[in-house]
Amino acid sequence: MAESRNFSKGSIMAFIFFFAAFLASGSSTAQVPLLMWSTKSLPSLTSPPAGHITSMEELAAYLSPVFGSGSNTVLLFLQDKLSKDDFTMFGGAFGNKQESAFRNLEAALQSSSSSVSFPALEWTGESAIPTLLQQKLSASPLLVDPDTLSHLSLNTSTSNLLIINLPYCSDSLKSCKEVLSNNDETIGKVLSSLKAKDVSYTAAYTGLQPSQVISKSSSLNQQVGRTLLQAPPADVKAPIIFSNATGRPCIMLWAQNLTISHPGSQGFIDLAKENASVDGSMCNNTNSDNFLFFSCRFAMSQRFYPVSARNWFTLDSVQVLVRPSGQTASFVGRHGIYAPAEYSFHCQSVSSFRDTLLVPANQNATQWKLDFVDFQIQGFRLANGTNFSYASDCAGFFTAGIWMGLVTSLLLLLIFVYGLHMIMQLNTMDRFDDPKGPTISVPQSD
Amino acid sequence: MLLEWMMNGHAILYTGVTLAFWSTILIVGICYTIFDLGFRFDVAWFLTETSPFMWANLGIGLAISLSVVGAAWGIYITGSSIIGGGVKAPRIKTKNLVSIIFCEAVAIYGIIMAIVISNMAENFSGTTPETIGAQNYQAGYSMFGAGLTVGFSNLFCGICVGIVGSGAALADAQNASLFVKILIVEIFGSAIGLFGVIVAILQTSKVKMGN
Repeated sequence: MAESRNFSKGSIMAFIFFFAAFLASGSSTAQVPLLMWSTKSLPSLTSPPAGHITSMEELAAYLSPVFGSGSNTVLLFLQDKLSKDDFTMFGGAFGNKQESAFRNLEAALQSSSSSVSFPALEWTGESAIPTLLQQKLSASPLLVDPDTLSHLSLNTSTSNLLIINLPYCSDSLKSCKEVLSNNDETIGKVLSSLKAKDVSYTAAYTGLQPSQVISKSSSLNQQVGRTLLQAPPADVKAPIIFSNATGRPCIMLWAQNLTISHPGSQGFIDLAKENASVDGSMCNNTNSDNFLFFSCRFAMSQRFYPVSARNWFTLDSVQVLVRPSGQTASFVGRHGIYAPAEYSFHCQSVSSFRDTLLVPANQNATQWKLDFVDFQIQGFRLANGTNFSYASDCAGFFTAGIWMGLVTSLLLLLIFVYGLHMIMQLNTMDRFDDPKGPTISVPQSD
Repeated sequence: MLLEWMMNGHAILYTGVTLAFWSTILIVGICYTIFDLGFRFDVAWFLTETSPFMWANLGIGLAISLSVVGAAWGIYITGSSIIGGGVKAPRIKTKNLVSIIFCEAVAIYGIIMAIVISNMAENFSGTTPETIGAQNYQAGYSMFGAGLTVGFSNLFCGICVGIVGSGAALADAQNASLFVKILIVEIFGSAIGLFGVIVAILQTSKVKMGN
C-alpha cells in the first residue's frame, strides 16, 4: 500500500513537472522545421513530444556526432520561409496526396538510408542554421543552383557545404503551390544530379525564417484575470500643503486647473504653469490665509454657528494680485464656499462667471475671471498629515430644480389621489331598496 | 371591524404608500445621522435656492383649485338634495337655487384672487440668493401664503354652505316656512369665505416683485 501511494505521488509530481515544462516550452514564438536525410545512417532521434521546440543547443548536440568524423557533404536547401503549416497546407495532408507539392521531397526522405526531422526548431536568426553547419563542418558555404551543380566537381576529401536558395511565395504573382512545386522540382533535380555523381551526402531542408509566426505565449506568463480597457490613470499632482510653525500641515489645497483670465486677453492663464510657493501663508484657529503662486490669496475663516451648533469655515475671499500695478482683484466666496470646519470643501467648478461661487467684490474684480476645476480646500483641523478630511461637496444629492419639481409634482399627486379616492367611494344609495316592496310613484303634476 | 376596513382595497393601497414613504424618510434620516451628514439637511438652502416663482405659482394654482373644490363639493351636496327632494316637492326647486349660488360665489372669490395674485408676478434678473434679493423672496412667499389662505378658507366655506344648503332643501321640502331661517345660517357660512379673501388681499398688499 505504501509503495503504491508513493508511486502515485511520484507520478503526480512527474505529471506536474511535465505539464510545467510543457507550458514553459510553449512560451517561445518563432520556429522553423528542419528535415534531414542522408545516404549514410544518421543517429536516431527520439521523437520529441508534440509542441516541443528544439533549441539550437540541442541541434548542435545532435549534429556533433554526425559531422564529427571525416568529411561530409551537406546539401542545405534553404527556403526563404518555411513553416510546419506549409506542409499541412500544400503537402496533401488531407487525403489528396496527388496534389502534394512535396513529392520529390517525400520520395527522397523515404528512399534515403535514414532521415530525421525536427518539426519545430527554435528560430533565433536568419543565418543560425547555416552558421551552425558551417561551424560543425568547418567549411565555408558554397551557393549553388541546379544548373551549376551538374558542372560542379566536388572534392570529397574535405567537407562541403552547398547551399541552395529556394524562393517563397512572397509576391502574389505566382500561387504558393506553384512556387513550392517548383522548389520541389529543384530539389529533385539537385538530388538526381548528386546521385549521378555518386557522392555520399546529407541533405537538409529548412527555412531562413518562419513563414508564419504564431506566438503562443503560455498562460503562465500572461496576466491572469481581466483588466479594464481604460487608459492608465494620469499621474496625480500632490496637493499644496502649508505647514505651520510646528511643522504640522494646516492648509491644503488641490485643484485640477487653476486658471485666471485678465482683462484684455482672450485666453486663460493656467496658474499651474507658474511656480507654486506658499510663503506668507498663515494659519491659526480662526483664520487661515494661503498665499499661493505669489498672485492668489485664499482667505478662510472659521466660527461657531449657534443654530446648527457646530463650527463652519468659509472661504471668505480670493484675492488676485495684479503683478505690475500691485492692485488686487478680490472675489467673495463666503456665500457659496462653506463646509463644517472639520471637513474639506470640494467643488467640481469654482468660477466667477459660470454658476458663480466667487462673486466679484471690487471694481478690479469685475474685469477678471477665475475658473478653478476640481477644487478642494481645507484650512482647519487637518486630521491626517497629507490627506484631506471628508470632502463636503458643493453638489448635493438633489439639486434645487429637482426639489422644486418634486414638491410640485407630489402636491399634484396628492390632490389627484384624494380626488380619485373620493370618486371611487361613491356608492349608489341602497338603504331603502326593497326589491319586494312597491315601486315609488312620481306625481305627474307639480 | 378593522379587518373589514382592511379588506377595502383603497385602505391597503394607502397603507402601503404611507408605509413606503415614511420608511424611506426614516432610513434616509438614520443614514444621514449615522454618517454625521446631518448638516446636509438644510432648510434654509431649500428656501433660498428654490425659485420664488415656484412659490408664487403654487399659490395661484392652489387659490383657484381649492376654491373650486370647495364650490364643487358644496354644489354636489346641495344639488343632490334638491334634486332628490324635488321629486316629492317640486316647489323647492327655484327657491333653493340660492344655496347653489352661495356655493358658486366661493369659486368666484377663488378666481378673482387667482387673477389678482398672478398680476403681481413680475420678472426679475437675479440667479443667486444675493442677487434675487429679499423683496422677491417675500413676494414669492406672500403669494404662496395668500393662495393657501383663500384656497383653504373657500374650500371649507363651500363644504359648509353645501351641507347647510342640503339641509335647507330637505327641510323646505317638509315645511316651506323653514327655508328663510336656514338661509341665515347659510349666510354666516358664506361669510367665512369672504374673510379668507380679505386676509389674502392683506397678505399680498406689500408684494413687489421685480428688480
